[in-house]
Amino acid sequence: MTVLADVAARPRGSTGRKIGLGLLLVFLVVLPLGTNIEGQTWVTNARLFQFTQMFMLITLASNWNLTGGFTGYVDFGHAVFFGLGAYGTGILMTQQHGIQWPFWAAVLGGAVVAAIFAVLVGFPTLRLKGPYFSIAMLGTFVAMREIIRVTKPVTGGGVGLTLPPYLNRALFYYLTFGLAVLVVSVMWWIRRSEFGSSLIAIREDEVGAEMRGIDTTLHKITAFAIAGFLSGIVGGMWAYQNTFIDPDVVFIESRTVELVMMTMLGGLGTVAGPVVGAATIYWLRDVVWAAFFDWHLIVEGALLIGIVLFVPTGIVGMLGDRSGTSLQRLWGRWLGSRDRPGAGPDPPRAAPPQPQGPQGDAGDEP
Amino acid sequence: MDQFLQAVINGIMLGGFYAAMMLGFSVIWGVMGVINLAHGEFIMVGAYATWVLNKEFGWEPFYALAVVLPLMFVVGYIIQLVLINRIVDQPHLVSLLVTFGLAIIIANAMKLAYSADPRLTETGFAGAWELGNVTVPVTKTVILGVALVIMGSLWAFLHRTKTGKSIRAAAQNKQAARIVGIDIKKIYALTFGICIAITGAAGTLISPTQAVFPFMGPPLTLRAFAITALAGLGSIPGALMGGMVLGLVESLIGIYVSGIGTNLAIVSAFVLLVVVLVTRPQGLFGGLRPMEEAQPL
Repeated sequence: MTVLADVAARPRGSTGRKIGLGLLLVFLVVLPLGTNIEGQTWVTNARLFQFTQMFMLITLASNWNLTGGFTGYVDFGHAVFFGLGAYGTGILMTQQHGIQWPFWAAVLGGAVVAAIFAVLVGFPTLRLKGPYFSIAMLGTFVAMREIIRVTKPVTGGGVGLTLPPYLNRALFYYLTFGLAVLVVSVMWWIRRSEFGSSLIAIREDEVGAEMRGIDTTLHKITAFAIAGFLSGIVGGMWAYQNTFIDPDVVFIESRTVELVMMTMLGGLGTVAGPVVGAATIYWLRDVVWAAFFDWHLIVEGALLIGIVLFVPTGIVGMLGDRSGTSLQRLWGRWLGSRDRPGAGPDPPRAAPPQPQGPQGDAGDEP
Repeated sequence: MDQFLQAVINGIMLGGFYAAMMLGFSVIWGVMGVINLAHGEFIMVGAYATWVLNKEFGWEPFYALAVVLPLMFVVGYIIQLVLINRIVDQPHLVSLLVTFGLAIIIANAMKLAYSADPRLTETGFAGAWELGNVTVPVTKTVILGVALVIMGSLWAFLHRTKTGKSIRAAAQNKQAARIVGIDIKKIYALTFGICIAITGAAGTLISPTQAVFPFMGPPLTLRAFAITALAGLGSIPGALMGGMVLGLVESLIGIYVSGIGTNLAIVSAFVLLVVVLVTRPQGLFGGLRPMEEAQPL
C-alpha cells in the first residue's frame, strides 16, 4: 500500500495555477449577475443556458473518466445512467402516479435508481475485459432505451413525459455549476486517495492489484456506482430543465461518444482532462454548428478520429502534466495491446500483460 | 406446434442472414485485430446502393449484388489504405473510437444524401410456399440461399486459394507471414475489401425485408458482436451456428412474449452476449482459445 500512497502523493498545482483557477471560479460565480446589467448583450439567458450545458458535460465527462480513465474500463453506454436519472426524476415529478415529489427529492431518487442499476449491471459486465466491457455497456444502453419504450404505463413509452416547467436559467446555472465543482473536487480527492490509487492499480495491472490485496470487484463496482449516481443527478437536472423527455432525446448514442471524445481530448485518466476537453469541445462545437449546420455531426466524427490518431495523450498530457505520463503507460499497455510493430518478434496475441507494477510505478518517482 | 414450427423456420432464415451479415466483422477482427464499429453502417451503404439500383434503374435487388460486391470492395480497400491501416495492431480502444467516428460520418453523410426516410426495395421473388400449416416466404428463402453461398465461397476462398491462405497466415502469425514473403499491407487491404464487400452484400439481402434508413447500423453491429462472441473469432461454421442461435432466440421471443415482441429482440441479443462472455469467453463453438486471441481461420 505504501507504493500506492507514494504514487498518490503528486505535487499540487503551482501558486500561479491556483490564482488562475480562483479567478476563473469567481468569474463563473458572478457571471449570471451580468444578465441584470443594462445595455450589455453578451450575458443573456441563452448564454447562461449554454454554460449550464457545458457544466453538465464537464460533470458527465468527469464521471465517465472515473471508470474509463482511472479504472481503465471504457464504458460505451455511460449515458444509460444519465437516462435513468432523467427518467427517475421525470416519473417521480409527474403527477400521473398520484404522488408528486419535489425536484430535490426526485433528482436524488433518480440518481439512486441509476446507482443501483450501476451495481446490478456492474456485477456481470465489470468481469469483462477491454472491448467486451465496452460493447456490453453499449448493449445495456440500447437495451435500456427499448425497455423504457416498452414499459409504457410507467415511462410514457414513445410519447414521453412532460415535467412541470420551471424556467429559471440562473438557478440551473448555479445548480449545474455547483455540481460540476463538487464532482471535479470529488474526482480530485479520489485521485489522491487510496481508493483512487487502487483504481489506477486495477487499470495498470488488475491481476497484480488483486494479488496485493485489493478487492478489485468491490473497487470497480464502487467506482461504477459513484459515476452512475453522479451522472444520474445530471440526468435529473437535465430532465427538469428540458421539461420533456422521451426515449429518443434521452438515450442518444452520441451522448456517450461525446463524453469519450471530450475526455480523450482533455486527457484520459487525469482530473483536469475531462474539464478541459468538455469545455473545449462544447465551444468548438458551437462554432462548428454555426459554420456547418447540416454537417456538424460529420465534422464531429472526423474530429473524433483526428483526436484519437493525432492527440492520443490529450491536451493535459501535451501540456506536460505529470499525470499524463501514467496515461502513456495506459496507452502502451491497454488490454490486447502489443509491442510496437517491428520491435522484435511478434508476441502471441493474447500475451497476458507482464506484471510490472513496481517498475511502472518507479518511472513516476522523482 | 404449428406456431412453434413457423417460429423455427423464421428463426433459421433470420439466422442465416445474421451469419452472413456478421462474417466481415469477425474476419476483420480475427485478421487485423480491428473491431469495426462501423460494420452496420457498411451494411446500410450496401442496402442504399441496392435501393438506388432498384428504384432508379429497376434492377432486381438480388441481381444488384453484381454491382454492390465490387463497389463495396473498392470502398473497403480505399478505407483500409487511408484510415484502418493506421490503427491495425493498435490498442482496441483506438480501433473502437476511430471506427465509431467513421460510423457517425457514414450514417450522417447518408442522411444528408438520402434523408432519414425508411426505404424498401421491391423484389420479384415474392410470395410464399404453403407447407401444411406453415408458410415459407420466398424472399427469405432466397436470402438464406444467397447467405449460404456467400459463406461457402468465403470458406472456399480462405481454405483453397493461395491468397486466402495468405490471409489466414497473416492472421496466425504476422511476422512469420512476412518472412515467407507475404505483403502484409496488401493482404490487410484485400481482407478489408473482401469483408466490406460481403458486409455490403448483407445490405442487399436485407433491403427487401427490412426498412433501410441511415441509422439502421448500430443494432446490426451489436448483433454482429454478439454472434462473434458466440462463434469465436473468424470461425465460419461457428458463425453459422451462432447466427442460427440468435435468429431462433429472437424469433421465439417475438412469438411467445406477446406485447413486447420485436422491440426486445435486441435486448435478447445483448443478454445472450453478456451471458456468453461471462460464462464462456472462448465462444460457444470457437474451440478452446479465448476471444482475446485470433482464431486461426
